[in-house]
Amino acid sequence: MNKVIKSLIVSLLLVFFFAQGADAQKRKDRKALYNSKFNYQIQCLGVGNDGTKLFKVWGFDKNAKNAAYKAKRNAVAACIFRGIPAGGGADKTPAIVTDPDADKTHKEFFDEFFAAGGKYLQYVNVTTDGAPSGKDRIRVKRGYKVAVIVSIAYDDLRKYLEEKGVARSLSHGF
Amino acid sequence: MKKSFLTIVTLFAAMLVFGQHAKKPTIMVVPSDHFCISHGYKMTFDNQGTQVVLPDYKAALQGDGSLRLVISKMSGIMAERGFPLKDLEQELKNIAQASAEMSMMTSKESGASLAESPIDMLKRTAKADIIMDLDFEVKKRGPQNYIVFTLNGIDAYTSKNIASASGTGNPSTAAAPELLLEEAVLSHMDRFNGLLMAHFTDMFTNGREVKVRVQVWDSSPVDLEEEYDYDGETLELGDIIDDWMADNTVEGRYSNSDNSENFIKFEQVRIPMFYERKGKQRAMNTKKFVNNLRKFLAGDPFGLTCKVYQRGLGEAWLIIGEK
Repeated sequence: MNKVIKSLIVSLLLVFFFAQGADAQKRKDRKALYNSKFNYQIQCLGVGNDGTKLFKVWGFDKNAKNAAYKAKRNAVAACIFRGIPAGGGADKTPAIVTDPDADKTHKEFFDEFFAAGGKYLQYVNVTTDGAPSGKDRIRVKRGYKVAVIVSIAYDDLRKYLEEKGVARSLSHGF
Repeated sequence: MKKSFLTIVTLFAAMLVFGQHAKKPTIMVVPSDHFCISHGYKMTFDNQGTQVVLPDYKAALQGDGSLRLVISKMSGIMAERGFPLKDLEQELKNIAQASAEMSMMTSKESGASLAESPIDMLKRTAKADIIMDLDFEVKKRGPQNYIVFTLNGIDAYTSKNIASASGTGNPSTAAAPELLLEEAVLSHMDRFNGLLMAHFTDMFTNGREVKVRVQVWDSSPVDLEEEYDYDGETLELGDIIDDWMADNTVEGRYSNSDNSENFIKFEQVRIPMFYERKGKQRAMNTKKFVNNLRKFLAGDPFGLTCKVYQRGLGEAWLIIGEK
């Protein structure tokens, strides 16, 4: 009888440890997903005014306010590294940097540019991050997924990166 | 990762070694044949019984306010990107003015006119390295207006479409067609310029793509099957020219697309962006490249006299036999 109970306890403990391990792995994956600098979820809303891009962008964090701040950073990063998908009658916008490894090549520049309160904020014209609510504020496991509508000064951002030698201008080499 | 790194290194190496800028392509917006003809800006000729319809660019530019608005908007964007556009309207005026001046011009002493062959007259047309072929239409769906916009970037060197952007705008009841047109230009230009940049990057890495044609005058004593002892081998002239192309194009990139004893047609010929002259690097062009082939054939053991004829911006012919 004792033998049966012992083996039952061992089995339960094993199941418990494996479940914990799997959950930890899931947590780790989720954290990596939320903190990934490549995780931009964007929806283009239409053609922006001259030199600007208008779109909705999402940010993730434990805190809804921080998620909105991250969304702004994601908006600028998306313009630089990934481009903006077509939508709302607007065509696809290519990424400002053409080198796919620009974030590594110019790491120091981007670390400073995207630092808290960094220069990237200069290119965020308008946002709706006051009080995201309803479907723009989604409670996810251990955090929030918050959407803000942004207008990015795309042309000014491109010119700045070209001046700094981070992006190639169209007339480069001529 | 490795590939993109190598591309960047090659680009920078080219810039550093040569310390010279490549020939900047000229770009011009031209309304498409479809736009001109469907809006009635056309000229009709009777060519030996066949009706030929051609676009009348002057009439289109003078009579269509929307076209002027779109071209103006595009010019502004391109100038801001470092590529001021050649203005088609001004270019046409300039050609007409130059033609009038040329026909009136005489020398002071003998009263001689300017020498001009029929070919020279044919060559007096508006040209650009890249043509932005533009087409748009304001369409209606009930009370709503929407824009169908097509922009193709044609490389005049190869006639290849190197960049294109097209699409249909969102229908609107409130916005005026002019506003929708402006929106269409803003919507598509970034994508178009992105593709243009990819084309330029390819050009710096793999050379400028051009066409070369070798012909023989009917008075020539030799054709392309004439045999010569060259480089320890007995080879036909056509094969020797083929070898020269392999040695002088960027990474031997070219295609011998058709040939006979009288002609060879080379396509997708990648010529270098620069050449050296008097110790300085200069921007290479198609005529200069083919002129090097002419010099090669003028030397031993060939001793051939050849004419170099530039046809358009990206094509040159070498005609063997005489000038």
